[in-house]
Amino acid sequence: MSSAIEKGVDGKHPTNETDQVRELDHDEYDPIGTAILVGIYFLILVALWIFMYFVEFLGNGPTVTGVLLTVVGLA
Amino acid sequence: MAMRNAYIDQFPKEARVIRAILWSSFLALTIGGTLGLIQGLHRTNVLRFIPSQDYYTVLTAHGVLLVITFTIFFLVGIFTWAVTTSLDRGVKDIRFTWGWYAIMMIGTLLVGVSILGGVVDQIPMNADVLYTFYSPFQAHPAFYVGFVLFVVGTWLAGFDWFRTWWAWKKDNPDERIPLPTFMALTTMLFWYLSSIGVAISILAFLLPWSLGIIDSVNPLLTRTLFWFFGHPVVYFWLMPAYMLWYTMLPKLSGGKLFSDPLARVVFVLFLILSTPVGIHHQYLDPGIAEGFKFIAMTNTMFLLLPSLLTAFTVVASMEHGARQRGGKGYLSWLKALPWRDPAFTGMALAGLMFAAGGFSGMINAGLSINYLVHNSWWVVGHFHLTVGTAAALTFMAASYWFIPQLTGKEIWNRSLGLVQVVLWFIGMTFMSNAMHRAGLFGMPRRTAEPQYQGFDFEPAVGTVAEIDAQVALGAALLTLSVYLFITNMVLTTIGGSTSDAIPDNTYAGTLSGPEDAPVIIDNLKLWTSIAVVLVIIAYSLPLASIIDAGGLFGPGIDPWKPSVVADPSLVLESVRGVMP
Amino acid sequence: MNIHTYEKTWLAVSMVLIVGFIATVTYGAVGPGIAMIDDDGGSIDPDTINDDERFNDPGVTHVGENEYEAAVVAQAWTYTPSEITVPANSTVTFYVTSRDVTHSFTVAGTNVNTMVVPGQISEMTVEFDEPGEYGILCNEYCGAYHHTMEGKLNVVPQDEFDLTELSTDASDEAQLGNQTTINTTVSNDMNYDLETTATLEIGDQQSLEQDVTVPAHGSETVEFAVDTTDLGTGDHDWTVTVDGHEESDTLTVTNATEGGDGDA
Repeated sequence: MSSAIEKGVDGKHPTNETDQVRELDHDEYDPIGTAILVGIYFLILVALWIFMYFVEFLGNGPTVTGVLLTVVGLA
Repeated sequence: MAMRNAYIDQFPKEARVIRAILWSSFLALTIGGTLGLIQGLHRTNVLRFIPSQDYYTVLTAHGVLLVITFTIFFLVGIFTWAVTTSLDRGVKDIRFTWGWYAIMMIGTLLVGVSILGGVVDQIPMNADVLYTFYSPFQAHPAFYVGFVLFVVGTWLAGFDWFRTWWAWKKDNPDERIPLPTFMALTTMLFWYLSSIGVAISILAFLLPWSLGIIDSVNPLLTRTLFWFFGHPVVYFWLMPAYMLWYTMLPKLSGGKLFSDPLARVVFVLFLILSTPVGIHHQYLDPGIAEGFKFIAMTNTMFLLLPSLLTAFTVVASMEHGARQRGGKGYLSWLKALPWRDPAFTGMALAGLMFAAGGFSGMINAGLSINYLVHNSWWVVGHFHLTVGTAAALTFMAASYWFIPQLTGKEIWNRSLGLVQVVLWFIGMTFMSNAMHRAGLFGMPRRTAEPQYQGFDFEPAVGTVAEIDAQVALGAALLTLSVYLFITNMVLTTIGGSTSDAIPDNTYAGTLSGPEDAPVIIDNLKLWTSIAVVLVIIAYSLPLASIIDAGGLFGPGIDPWKPSVVADPSLVLESVRGVMP
Repeated sequence: MNIHTYEKTWLAVSMVLIVGFIATVTYGAVGPGIAMIDDDGGSIDPDTINDDERFNDPGVTHVGENEYEAAVVAQAWTYTPSEITVPANSTVTFYVTSRDVTHSFTVAGTNVNTMVVPGQISEMTVEFDEPGEYGILCNEYCGAYHHTMEGKLNVVPQDEFDLTELSTDASDEAQLGNQTTINTTVSNDMNYDLETTATLEIGDQQSLEQDVTVPAHGSETVEFAVDTTDLGTGDHDWTVTVDGHEESDTLTVTNATEGGDGDA
């Protein structure tokens, strides 16, 4: 392992140690805030996608259509 | 006082070449940014002091200087840092490193002078062909030669890093590839693969054509070869930003990288999927069957996966830092992040804007919805959030950490740095939201005067004047931000005093380290082979059908030299002349 | 590999998102029937555009009941024709090609948008339900005056639409006592015969009518014989009218003995 990897408070090259008040290792850390943030992002993405595709795009006709529709229309 | 252990202390020779590279990058940013302001004011009709014909020279220079020169110089500088730092060894031969830098510089100068010829009569060259140089536009041969030299320089840079890694591997046969090196190498692998497209386009077609060796090219073929390279290039700009988000942002937040294995998976996915997607830039091109476009869309959509994973891993790493700094609650830990640090704040804001740019990219990736946004100002709004913020703002922010590492000097004014990155965020919010909205009512990109004689645009919300005002204001704030940045960098370099308080040259530790990743993830040969196979699947049939329909050299396509500029009324006469 | 449960969930959610996007686009193709520009238009040598059956006289042609074709040639910095008129409730297939560099053919504010690459023909079928006026613009950089490249698309109510054109061949001058003719060629680009009446009004009194049948995609010349004796000397304005289309000019009748230049 390279010495350049930051070791945290007990490592050889601590940075930001003055601001650090505790150390959390992998097992005691659940990124609940991250889960909330990406969950909100997901909802925004779904809402905007639906708005963009069904309102902005499909509502923006005329649109290029295939021969398929013409055939159906004549039938 | 403990001995200082900054990059310049560990690798003084490499620090010198990286400084030169970053300065080339910053110079391109300053010139390119200034040109952006000229365009922003011109298009919106706020201030027009150049003839509209010259707008396209300015646009070509803005595009090339920012998306090629600024970003890629920064990339080669930062990757050199990443490889040497994480392998803890210098490059094999520093003269070779200076050599590829010199080749890239010569390439840049050739391209720059040939573009400048578009507005300076004394230079008998012209390259008003924009950064995409679609044939049958024909630039001066120097433009193509310069472009090739620049790319060859990057190839040699990649070789420099690979052989540094090979030498390290010999000494450390059982170790996992350190993450920053892994990221640099996987990025270079898809760069080698994708730049073959532009190399063939230029060396087999455009350059011999500009020299008069062949008389015709197939415009759809050279265009397709360009996009074979043209989409991976956007990931090429983005990968250094991703690397900084994975390896620096957790550390600056006061935490550790949440998952080293997933970071590797992300870069492997980019290696595999970056290239077989270029046809999504050609959704509205004739001559390419719909099925090929659908395949390109599917690949593109799956390319969202590594970015979505990155969003989680990077934010979780920041949250880890915030909680180690005492942050509590579901979301109030956000307040515990080091918002006074320009390097942190700039990168975090860049990531936030990338989340927005990611959304408009998802729209761009959609096949049919491309009719709505293709070549509209929406696209310009999109890539100003991606390359123009996710990459550019991350690079500027990271410089507040790197320049002290490379010079041994403290940043001249860190508060000004904070103002600078926030100003970029504000300016881009104005500019990009307005561009996106303008695209939705059909305002085109790449146009000096989007004001037409026969019709007006009809925004559903707001007005054209309001959108123009937001773009002009945004462009002004962004340009001011660039000037504040460059001022800070210049004064740090020439005026700053050497300091012993520069932090050590380290990157983020990990919560889940490489030992948790299966060894197969480090098998670069395997992933490269898969990437090659996917490229063959995505491109062999479209290329074959393009060549079959239009011929390798096209059906007698005459070159169009943009320097031959006529008055439009004369041109209309000539149009009547050729019409039956 | 040690992946946190939250991140595994996010991975699954991301996959749902991706599959959802692809599913939406697939729905767009099979539901509303959106088709992409593809290779159906074929390729063309730009130097042969003037000899091409479709592009040698670009414009709108009637091909089926409510179906039309519109051939458009793009070149720096104009479209030919620069103004396109089609009826509402019609299906129009556009064929667009370029004489020089890459352009686009973009109907502003709609989803009608294609690249126009030299050597290729862009083919796209569009249904126009409602009357309306649209601007056409080029959204691909095509040279120094790219920003001046624009056109117009008019979708007119069906009862205001036809594909009839007039062109007239007539002398400006005739001698008193001689007969002169005003020849009007009526062209019809519909795919059915046009049965109509051509009317000539000249001077104060004369009004001549002729029935004419113009074949589908053809033209017919109507010859009006004008007796100058009835008109007398002087300038006589005339108008030929066919189905609401008009052609006008002036016939000057001179006195034969004065050699045509007397003004007594």
